Amino acid sequence: MTRNNVVTVLDPRGQPSGVFGRRSSGDNPGTILSPRVRPVDDRESMEKLQMAERLDTLEGKLIYLVDVGFPGSKEFLEELAEWFKENMPSVKVVYKQKKFDPYSDDPELWEEIHANKGDGVILGVGG
Amino acid sequence: MFLRYVFPPHPVGFIPKEKLRGYVDGINPVSGKPLMPEMVEALTKPLTEEEKNPVIEKRPKRPRLLPPDTEENLYRLFIENGWTDGNPIILPTEERVAEMLTGTDRDPQEVIGRMSVTTHQERLEYTVEKVAVIAVMAGCRPEHLPVLLAIAATEIPAFPSSTTSFSSMIMVNGPIRHEIGMNCGLAALSPFNYANSVIGRAWTLMSINFGDARPGDTFMHSLGHPINYNNLCHAENEEDSAFEPYHVEKGFKPEESTVTLFRGWNYNGINLGPAKAMAEALKRQSSMGRAGTFIMDPLVSAHLKDEGFKTKEELRQYIAKEAETFPQMINFIVVGGQTNPMWALTDYTPSITVSIDEWIPKTGIKKDEKPIRMPQPVLCKDGICGI
Amino acid sequence: MEDHYNIPTAPIVTARFADYILKDSRSHGMLLRYSFPPHPVGFIPRSHLKDYIKGNDPYTGKPLMQEIIDALTKPLTEEEKNPVVPKRPGHPRLLPPDTEENLHRLFLESGWTDGLPIVLPTEERVAEMLTGTDADPNQVVGRMSIAYYEEKLEYTVEKVAVNAVMAGCRPEHLPVLLAIAATQHPSLPSSTTSFASMLCVNGPIRREIGMNCGLAALSPFNYANSVIGRAWTLMSINFGEARPGDTFMASTGHNLNYNNMTFGENEEDSPFEPFHVEKGFKPEESTVSIFRGWNVLGLGLGNAEEMAKVLRNLPSMAPTGTFVMDPLVARSLIDEGFKTKEELRKFFAEKTGYPPFAINFMVVGGQTNPLWITTDFVYTETESIDKWIPKDGIRKDKKPLRMPEPLVCKDGICTLPG
Repeated sequence: MTRNNVVTVLDPRGQPSGVFGRRSSGDNPGTILSPRVRPVDDRESMEKLQMAERLDTLEGKLIYLVDVGFPGSKEFLEELAEWFKENMPSVKVVYKQKKFDPYSDDPELWEEIHANKGDGVILGVGG
Repeated sequence: MFLRYVFPPHPVGFIPKEKLRGYVDGINPVSGKPLMPEMVEALTKPLTEEEKNPVIEKRPKRPRLLPPDTEENLYRLFIENGWTDGNPIILPTEERVAEMLTGTDRDPQEVIGRMSVTTHQERLEYTVEKVAVIAVMAGCRPEHLPVLLAIAATEIPAFPSSTTSFSSMIMVNGPIRHEIGMNCGLAALSPFNYANSVIGRAWTLMSINFGDARPGDTFMHSLGHPINYNNLCHAENEEDSAFEPYHVEKGFKPEESTVTLFRGWNYNGINLGPAKAMAEALKRQSSMGRAGTFIMDPLVSAHLKDEGFKTKEELRQYIAKEAETFPQMINFIVVGGQTNPMWALTDYTPSITVSIDEWIPKTGIKKDEKPIRMPQPVLCKDGICGI
Repeated sequence: MEDHYNIPTAPIVTARFADYILKDSRSHGMLLRYSFPPHPVGFIPRSHLKDYIKGNDPYTGKPLMQEIIDALTKPLTEEEKNPVVPKRPGHPRLLPPDTEENLHRLFLESGWTDGLPIVLPTEERVAEMLTGTDADPNQVVGRMSIAYYEEKLEYTVEKVAVNAVMAGCRPEHLPVLLAIAATQHPSLPSSTTSFASMLCVNGPIRREIGMNCGLAALSPFNYANSVIGRAWTLMSINFGEARPGDTFMASTGHNLNYNNMTFGENEEDSPFEPFHVEKGFKPEESTVSIFRGWNVLGLGLGNAEEMAKVLRNLPSMAPTGTFVMDPLVARSLIDEGFKTKEELRKFFAEKTGYPPFAINFMVVGGQTNPLWITTDFVYTETESIDKWIPKDGIRKDKKPLRMPEPLVCKDGICTLPG
């Protein structure tokens, strides 16, 4: 046997590409739910993104609770709204469900929050 | 004994009645003779000399070593003879088999069983050494040998021949799980663990070579089953389970190591929800009989406890009642990495649970100086896990 | 929200994924202000959720609600104002030379295999594998990641050949693997649910490379079916960068990931048109089609009504169904009066309420039993193999390696054992 001979082999791994983001559409079975209208985020190369300026306080602000659709998210956000009612009653919270499934983008909702002058968003619950 | 069989065309199930009548009126496609007269003859024609004095054919014993050849030719020989699962093997040289045999104290020539994938064919006999040969081929190390010997001693093949397509499952319990680095946590059923991969595969190679599985000849699965590649080989996640380990439930001590074999057809991989949902899924499951083995993430077992089921027995009684089946047909296995409270429902039934300990050397499991381990997934303690 | 609308956002993810999320967002140059309640939040009593909200983030140890409020109100730091995207170094083409034994260990310990023995990808073997295509070894075939937002790894024709050698393939298999790689779909996409995949080959290449479409085609009795299915998983590990607990989060995993249910369709014995023809390819084209899902019910027996019942009862997260049926089943469906797959599809859509296009039919098997397998698999993509085949045809060995052919049974004239 050639057990102790030194051999050279090739690295099997792919090379870092600098390309991020979702794979092509049809990526998850959620597609099936609404094949015609589901917006697909096919943005491939993500440039660095800028974070928004923060609020000075939450008092009196309009905060959207956006349910991404994982099991338990709705219940968790309901409890969260309850917490605001008890502890920071001046905060106006609006519960919204993101469309389709936890993995798809929902530009219409973001547009709606923007149009209604939402001050901030609490997005959850990933899991 | 060569009985006087008569062969109508295949199949006779799920076809129109008129077609069956046609078979009866038609000819035997094997002999080419009219079917009914042949049947009458089978009952009335006097016995021939041969039929009066039946002889049982004996197959010659196989020599221990194959004729020496180059590595390339030997790989080809193994593939062309159907001695593998099609994936690369390690050639079982005398040196490698001898090293493998350090994994047990047992005499290499001790006969430990006989196997056939069919119920009617001659069974092939195998020794400790033959199991070591398979272990080498599958890519095992001596530390894995005791588990393979325990499986081999059950004489149960991973894919019993049936025209339905069986799949099987291997589950290991007890301290050996961690000693040989089996995965019972995250992605335990996927190809990310050395021991899970090679042990599961070795059962398939044993079934091919000891069980004499030859497709179309002794092996008649119409479609086959893709679980036959690895046989769902995993270890139970005893540490994170809210219930007692499976082998303890079967009367073994927690510190004993065991292997349990299951078989069935169906694997429902995605389910969520409480005990009621489990019962409903079992009730709806389409299979022969109403057996159910639930393969659940540790999170599920914790939730079931929260629901009020203190033991597996309580849960079993509840599900059996709701699903209108028998408690003894319901089993629970805990495995997974706690990333999602999901459970799989299978129609698997356990065949046997056997001890591994009797195959372990007196001085303990024979480990390499630095045992080979694939990267360990980080096991998650609920909520405090740093991945 | 943050970048486009300038609205501050407090994302919440359960603590199980804390490190995964933080690493992921770092790689995108935006470190969002996440809060992590304990995992999971699904299917647990309300009182637990209340406690989570009143309690601490187990990842940071700070009170959860204060953290969420801080996320929205605390001014941005310098680092947050000026995000950087880190770059990872590439891997050299060759690994440091070593003994065979050490290299086998290296591949296992690095998590570059499925745990089973591989053939070491030496330069000589990879060069031989590359004779299986005319494509330039340095041609980029695609980019893959098993996770949603991870950096994708790029791979060339040569990298596919490396994984082909490891899986035990011969050059005749390479065109199929290149077509699979070109889909850029991993066989084990990361999800906390545990995905299975399926791979079906159509067209003349099935016979040329000796794939099994007949008896026991889904079991480990065919060289091509075994190594092709395995190679897809090795590519998914090495191109998709699958590391359990890190990028790969399937809680229990799926056993089909070993071979990905790889087979050739039994076009010859099927009374229906082949799957790839249905998808717009010519019968003489060779293609690979991939599917994914969770459920595999191996024991279906009965007529169309029964099939619909089983599909309806299948617990799944998607309204999809793919039946994998023996040719005997296909013929008995025609006897029942369904002339085409389209008619069948309509029937099943009506019975289940699923969209017709989400229901598929594959024909495979050896006609020993009229059985069908019910799956919830969704069809992903069909890719042509032909463009990867050398101009002068598939590169076969002088004597191609073949495992024993199953005795294929033509209805009624097959000699079953006594």
